[in-house]
Amino acid sequence: MGLLVLLSLVLITVSFRSSALDGVQGTAAGILKPFEVAADRVARPFRDAVSWGRGLVDAKSENKRLKSQIQTLRQQLTLDEGAVQQNVQLKAALNYHGLPTIVDFRQVHASVSVNPQNAIDQSVGITVGTNNGVRAGDVVIDPVSKGLVGTVDRAFPSVASVTLLTDTQSAVTSVDLTSPTAVGIIQPGGGGSDALVLDLVSKTKVVREGDTIITAGSLGRSALPSIFPRGIPVGTVTSQSSNDVNPFKNVQVKPLVDFSSLQSVIVLVPKGR
Amino acid sequence: MNGIKAALVLFVAALFQLSVLTEYRQFRTASIVLVALLSIALLRGSIFGAIAGFGTGLLLDTATLGTLGITSLLLTVFGFWIGRYGETTARDRFHAPFLSVATVTGLYAFGLVGLQFVLGQPAPAGLVARGLPLALLLNLVLTLPVYALIRRLFPPLELGDRVREVRLLG
Repeated sequence: MGLLVLLSLVLITVSFRSSALDGVQGTAAGILKPFEVAADRVARPFRDAVSWGRGLVDAKSENKRLKSQIQTLRQQLTLDEGAVQQNVQLKAALNYHGLPTIVDFRQVHASVSVNPQNAIDQSVGITVGTNNGVRAGDVVIDPVSKGLVGTVDRAFPSVASVTLLTDTQSAVTSVDLTSPTAVGIIQPGGGGSDALVLDLVSKTKVVREGDTIITAGSLGRSALPSIFPRGIPVGTVTSQSSNDVNPFKNVQVKPLVDFSSLQSVIVLVPKGR
Repeated sequence: MNGIKAALVLFVAALFQLSVLTEYRQFRTASIVLVALLSIALLRGSIFGAIAGFGTGLLLDTATLGTLGITSLLLTVFGFWIGRYGETTARDRFHAPFLSVATVTGLYAFGLVGLQFVLGQPAPAGLVARGLPLALLLNLVLTLPVYALIRRLFPPLELGDRVREVRLLG
């Protein structure tokens, strides 16, 4: 017992303070990956059956809501396509080179193999690693909503660990899409929920409920550019308020990504790598 | 033989937890691995429980790409402790698995918070405390079938096999 406790303490020390065990851990995790994938495949039919049953309950009301949403989005799409065309023409005319966006990255698709294990844990394991060009710090997005999921924390040859945006140590410079001067830091709202907070937004800036928050990318001439390309959607503003005590606005943001049911993700790998 | 059986049971439990149970947020606080480990420790004793706990912890830390040793340390200690309980006062008591699971669920959750705190990692004790009642409930619900299954796989030892135990006379 004493020997095992001592061995555990040595493992914690070595694993936490150095990367000496990363190779061994990566290889072992790679060996475990097929078993995790197999268990996932076995459980999938049951999971799908549960989802199907749950979907039936509110299918009718959801269908009605989605039909009206499609009408609105069609109109929005027409306007947006016109704006994109105009943007491309103006950029070409001005020879304008902006901040890196999502199109400047190669998209590596991956399955989520390990979900968060408890209330403290805000990370997931994915089935791609350094063999696919993934490195620590790479940005991860959701393939469906294209919303921001988090960043790669540790990368091994065939697997990687992704720290979610809801982790207390996550912070992303973000901006209100409709009010581009309202820049702040997206941080988890706490309390165990997925709600986010757009912090450090000046009281003088205008932020409205329903506004879309996107990643700001690198601002100014910082020595350390942001790892996040500009324009990745983060979420929508659900409420905003201010008081005399806090020098900044209190902006609550609902994330675009459903962190509780991540099945797959996209890792953005710089094209030059 | 017992070792291989325990390794297989805990490996399957770990896979189930990693790939299936944690898929649903409401079940994320439950730990079938913890319940399985404590059941095995109760039936096979302290040394067996400690070794099984160490191996299971290492497996979980490896699969989740977390800091190696954290889960091992906790599961080694709790595996040993509950194993010792099984060797002494818990013998043939119906409530023993439930009491063990309830106690260790709380201690494991706060032990994890404590270790995270010591390592300078986020350690939201309030969040863990709020999730604890559900974790207790789910783990206690899991205890009945898991303990019954493991008791079939690891029948209680005969008196003669318990060589390390203290025999109470009189």
